[in-house]
Amino acid sequence: MKKILIASLMLIAMVSCTKDFESTNQNPNQISDQLLKQDFNLVGSPFSGMLLNLFGGQIEEDLCYDSWMGYMGNPSYFVNNRNNTTYFITWNSYWGRVYGNVMSPSKQVIQLAATNNLPLFATWAKLIRVLSVSKLTAVHGPVIYSNYGATTAQINYDKESDLYNTFFLQLDSIQADFAANKTYSGFAKFDPSYKGSIPAWQKVVNSLRLRLAIRLSKVAPSVAKTQGEKALADPAGLINTNAENFVVSLNGSIMPVAQISLQWNDTRMGAIMESFFVGMKDPRISKFYAPITNPALYADHPTVPYKGIRGGGFNDDKKAQTVFSTCSMDFNNAQTRRAFTASEVAFLKAEAALRGWAGAGVAKTNYENGVKLSFEDWGVGGVDAYLADATSKPADYVNPLNAQNNFKPLSTITVAWNDADNNEVKLEKIITQKYFNTYTNTLEAWVDHRRTGYPKIPSVAKNDSDATWGVIPVGDYIKRMPFINGERTGNTAGVADAVSKMGAGAKDDIATRLWWDTGVATNF
Amino acid sequence: MKSMLLVFCSVLCMFSATFAQTRQVTGKVTGSDNQAVASATIKVKGSNAAATTNADGTFSLKAPAGSFVIQVSSLGFAAKEVTIGASQATVNVSLTAQANDLSEVVVTALGIKREKKSLTYASQLVAGDEVTRAASPNFMEGLSGKAAGIDIKVSSSGVGGSTKAVLRGARSLQGTSEALFVIDGVPMVNNKGGQPGSYGGNDRGDGLSSLNPADIESINVLRGANASILYGSQGANGVILITTKKGKAGKTVVNFNSSTVFDQVTGIPDLQFDYGAGGGDKNWSKVKGNYQKDYVKDFFQTGITATNSVNVSGGNNQTTAYFSYSNITAKGNLPTNTYDKNTVTLNQSTKLFNEKVTLSSNVIFANEKSYNRPGAGYYNNPLTGLYVFARERDFAAYKKDYQIFDPARNLYKQNWYSTYEFQNNPYFEVYNNSKLATNNRVIANVKLSYDIAKHLKFETRGNIDYNDVLFDNRYVAGGNSVSVSSNGTWSYTKYKDQSLYTDGIFTYNNNFGDFSVTGLLGASYTKNTFNDGMNVGNGTVALQYPNFFSFANMPYNVIFNQSLNRTIKEGAFASANIGYKEMVFLDVSARNDWASTLALTGNQSYLYPAFGLSAIVSQMVELPEVISYLKVRASHSETGNEVPFNVVNPWNSIGGAGGPSGIGGINRNTQVPFTNLKPEIITSDELGAEIRFLKGRLGLDFTYYNSVSTNQFLSLAAPSGSGYSSYYVNAGKIVNKGFEITIDAEPIRTNDFKWKTNINLSQNKNEIVELIASNPNYQVGGNDEGFASIIKAGGSFNDLYITKFSRNAGGQINLNANGVPVAAATQVKVGNVNPDLIAGWNNNFTYKDFFASVLINGKFGGVAFSKTEAFLDSYGVSQRTADARVNATIPINAISSTGTAVTSIDPALYYSSIGDRNGIMEPYVFSRTNIRLGQLALGYTLKVKNASLPIKDASFSLVGRNLFFFFKEAPFDPEQSMSTGNGMQSNDVFGMPSTRSVGFNIKLTF
Repeated sequence: MKKILIASLMLIAMVSCTKDFESTNQNPNQISDQLLKQDFNLVGSPFSGMLLNLFGGQIEEDLCYDSWMGYMGNPSYFVNNRNNTTYFITWNSYWGRVYGNVMSPSKQVIQLAATNNLPLFATWAKLIRVLSVSKLTAVHGPVIYSNYGATTAQINYDKESDLYNTFFLQLDSIQADFAANKTYSGFAKFDPSYKGSIPAWQKVVNSLRLRLAIRLSKVAPSVAKTQGEKALADPAGLINTNAENFVVSLNGSIMPVAQISLQWNDTRMGAIMESFFVGMKDPRISKFYAPITNPALYADHPTVPYKGIRGGGFNDDKKAQTVFSTCSMDFNNAQTRRAFTASEVAFLKAEAALRGWAGAGVAKTNYENGVKLSFEDWGVGGVDAYLADATSKPADYVNPLNAQNNFKPLSTITVAWNDADNNEVKLEKIITQKYFNTYTNTLEAWVDHRRTGYPKIPSVAKNDSDATWGVIPVGDYIKRMPFINGERTGNTAGVADAVSKMGAGAKDDIATRLWWDTGVATNF
Repeated sequence: MKSMLLVFCSVLCMFSATFAQTRQVTGKVTGSDNQAVASATIKVKGSNAAATTNADGTFSLKAPAGSFVIQVSSLGFAAKEVTIGASQATVNVSLTAQANDLSEVVVTALGIKREKKSLTYASQLVAGDEVTRAASPNFMEGLSGKAAGIDIKVSSSGVGGSTKAVLRGARSLQGTSEALFVIDGVPMVNNKGGQPGSYGGNDRGDGLSSLNPADIESINVLRGANASILYGSQGANGVILITTKKGKAGKTVVNFNSSTVFDQVTGIPDLQFDYGAGGGDKNWSKVKGNYQKDYVKDFFQTGITATNSVNVSGGNNQTTAYFSYSNITAKGNLPTNTYDKNTVTLNQSTKLFNEKVTLSSNVIFANEKSYNRPGAGYYNNPLTGLYVFARERDFAAYKKDYQIFDPARNLYKQNWYSTYEFQNNPYFEVYNNSKLATNNRVIANVKLSYDIAKHLKFETRGNIDYNDVLFDNRYVAGGNSVSVSSNGTWSYTKYKDQSLYTDGIFTYNNNFGDFSVTGLLGASYTKNTFNDGMNVGNGTVALQYPNFFSFANMPYNVIFNQSLNRTIKEGAFASANIGYKEMVFLDVSARNDWASTLALTGNQSYLYPAFGLSAIVSQMVELPEVISYLKVRASHSETGNEVPFNVVNPWNSIGGAGGPSGIGGINRNTQVPFTNLKPEIITSDELGAEIRFLKGRLGLDFTYYNSVSTNQFLSLAAPSGSGYSSYYVNAGKIVNKGFEITIDAEPIRTNDFKWKTNINLSQNKNEIVELIASNPNYQVGGNDEGFASIIKAGGSFNDLYITKFSRNAGGQINLNANGVPVAAATQVKVGNVNPDLIAGWNNNFTYKDFFASVLINGKFGGVAFSKTEAFLDSYGVSQRTADARVNATIPINAISSTGTAVTSIDPALYYSSIGDRNGIMEPYVFSRTNIRLGQLALGYTLKVKNASLPIKDASFSLVGRNLFFFFKEAPFDPEQSMSTGNGMQSNDVFGMPSTRSVGFNIKLTF
């Protein structure tokens, strides 16, 4: 009996030891907050990832606005060639990227900044949120922002007009924090963009405020003017030189356009860019795209060995079109990508000048400066001759394989500034050059196109829009991306509320205009 | 290996030699029908001397001097005592067959043997012979159809591939719902590797292929959670108990088994070879040509699986031992695919200290090597390019010159006409891209059993299961540009799985008047360290130098990942079985678990009970004579299930390599900490009856069960606005209910001819009653390239959703302005991929020395889905598209965008718009019902009468598996699955075609 007792006790002793359970259940291949406190990595280490996630990848950019705006065209007939590029929504994932990779980690950063008494990191995180969500709202319209982090089942979206006010107020407070801490060096290690320079980030704040103000210039002119002039007047200045450009580190990954075009043998030069660059003799073509060797393919302009694919066109033979121009091989070596350039700022100022905003300077100077900055940034010469060209106009696009994709250019502008032009033509030139410059950072070009109608580009050749996601009439353009399915099913009431905030008759489809897309053809 | 065998044999001989005692008694044991009784035990009463009969019923006993009594027993016969006279040298014993299996002893959980009649839950025993009869290299394939309530699917990847065995329906949303496998009382690790998906991949096998089927003595299927409470959560999905062969006291026996099986591809899609692609990718030419026709079937080779195994067993009354070695050498249907396996098993059992202590040990070593195991899906799959090949081109040339020299790079690149990423030159794929998988596994255990007192026994076991696993996939430069980098792609995974298990159990057995009591008290400890290793893959980031697959050649911006999955489970359990007059039995048991995965939640310790009652009605009341045995049983059990590793509060991860001058950022964990996590609870109720008629010649076992799974652990995408990216909840209510029927009968039993038949039927109804009450639209699973396998409230596990045609109110298909059929806006449910009814009909015939075995398998109901067909149609390579081209039109009930009725459509327009990746999948959903001749074995047993020959027994048989279908609608075999994971069931995305296997089997006993 005694033996039994001893053995029973042993059994119980064996099972009662649960003290290593907690450490057993931790994964040693994950890094703890405790370890991250060393060298003060805890608060700063998520920033490079959040910055990179300002951008999307293939399905967010290449198969959406890169294609719609004619920067790129796809040789692959994804999903039977009925997909986002032909206005039938198949992929819709930028939303998830913003909330999963920017909003959620920045929430933690803001909390950690508070508990670790590093308030400027919270300021910085808030700036990244505005940078990120101001892109997201340009895709969907209303988004979750002020109610972000709510614990209620229904989480309401911000009405766009409210959202922009919130952005501007936050930019005020961010700029005030930065202005009071210009010499702070705490970001240095975590900031691949500016090595922790607060004055550099102040320029981003002002430039962003100007970008958002210009977006609202038609729908809310007085708010736009106030905010634009504030940006132009701020003593910290704007991104005025290429050295001040806001670029984001790729963190060791390959530039998406190079991956898609060169590694996956997929996306190619866009037909619309071919029409503009070939017709207007733009030397940036060689920095954007790669030349091809088969003269039969570019017989329509034998001296310019490039050929693009019509985005949203008729494609049924991938191989035949993969011999068209890829992106430039230079992108294989890219370590960073452009998020906000001095050239874009110059074009924003050019438009602001047309609109008579104080501090914007002269439209012509800004326009020409924008082109010069762009040439400098992309590393091409010949800018003076280019700026003087008053004759070269966009060219016809000829697809050597399928004439269904051919088009005649809608635009007849030239490069040279002419003070005698009316404001619409001037704006068309400004926005068209802004569009050229912003290659690989193309969302704002889609914004400008919806807002101003410029650049004048053809619509998709193959329009597959239908009642599923909303009908885009032939010749018209996609207006927005729908809310994601996860929100439609998981936050149904919130989405319904958001749709109501888009105005009377709005639907959660691709045909409903965003707030600043007024539908008014004239811009002045 | 041979020398090891010799050593082992001599050890066995030594054991035998120590018994050079006084005299020899020989004899023969027969049944009442005069047939020899094999494997009967002859024991000298009051002594350790014992012997076992051979296949011909004969035995030889080393007996003490003087008169003594022998006890003769054998399963299925009444035990008998016979007195042997002092000078008697031979004895013939005739045993009486027992009308029912009243005294049948079955092995239950933790290796505890119990009389079957006392069990309060369903179990079904399958003899080891059954699973090896048709020479299946994997015993699970051999089990299919032979036990009720188990749905077995075999990977289409061929020999060494994984299997999926689900008892009583799927219930776990995150886990596998697969049964626990137990070898001789100790849980066996059955970690399944990755499975192919729509985009590609290959079957990475599972833990079951390490077993040598020839080592299996019997398999007992405990279908319910009721049966497995003593294993805790691991047994919640049912338990498959494997009892391995052991040495028996008496003569040394050597068995040799050799089988060679030829596998032939039978399920190649119905393809056309008459219309070409006119220089493009898709074969939509309208002009018939004279093109190569045989290259698809010629691509597949005849697979050969050669299995050789030998086992040696024997021992004396103190010590028994069993040794086996087996080798499988196989060549798959896909060129270059090979599989090799060696297993060594050694077990011994020694009685010590006056037989009060038994020390036994068992060691299994297995080494498996699989090369180029076939995959499925779009990328790096030779079948895609093979099937959709442009017909007018010269396939023979692409076969011969599958690579061409690229002077620009000074290396060979793929020779293929299409750059579409989903197709490659099939020969380039199989010859140049290598997929190696190896594992070396040791399962070793020691068991000590101590008879403390007359009624009290203590047993303790220790087991280590260690597996060293490697997956090394190499894709050379110049191949697929989407999935392979310009300098080649290397995917390397190496890890070890280790499981430590130990338990200690007291058992108490006693009778008090009319009452019998069996009590059990024990504790167990399991520590699993799985996936402990690393993986790295450069994906499409170029290696530094082409085609050199080494860590040193990795580019700087590739992350080397470490992996680990570590859990500790402690359990304490008690159980009592009280019998009254051998006719009523009551089971009461309880278990408490402590799980490391629930640390920090306050719920790491959890208790759950089980009850059961059985009554042998035939012993209680007088029943009509035709009923020889009637037992009814009922049980109720609860099982707690812990959650996976590291979900309560995970930390952060390194986000990337960083630029050359920077550091990679940190990806913060954005999951909501889940500190109120609870274990999942499965409640099962079961009612059953066993009836035997006609003196036991006809038996019926019926079980009805209802199992309710609650508090499921669900990972949810957090609402966008919540501040997190994901969170977990305990929610859901999933009900599985159904019945299982086993009928066994011996319709013919004459001296020469015997027919034993066995029918297994089962039906499971799965219902997702609720997932998240506050979010009724919540679902698990989403669109996967044209279809979705969705779990949501009101539905069932693995409901299939696909895109149908958009139709107007009158049922006409809507066409768009280009005349193309429009897809419906949302995917709709078209059925469930699991069968409604599973049936197996197994027959064994013997006529004199001939034997035959016929197994007919049927699965009824459910749907199957073929994306392969959708692709073949859109590429114009299916025979269907050729037939349609003959008429140049397809009848359609459609309406144009302008509202006019359309009755015919151009085949090219129709098929290229509905097929391919994300098209209208409505025409590609089929009934999954199939009935097949699952197994057939015909053989002859040669009984060697001449004792001077070394051979005792020889049998030769012809075997076949999956011989033909009596009925099948789907264009592929739904039971040869492209994936054995949770998703992708009854679905085909360029998986290997199904096969038919025929071969022969030779068995020799020495």
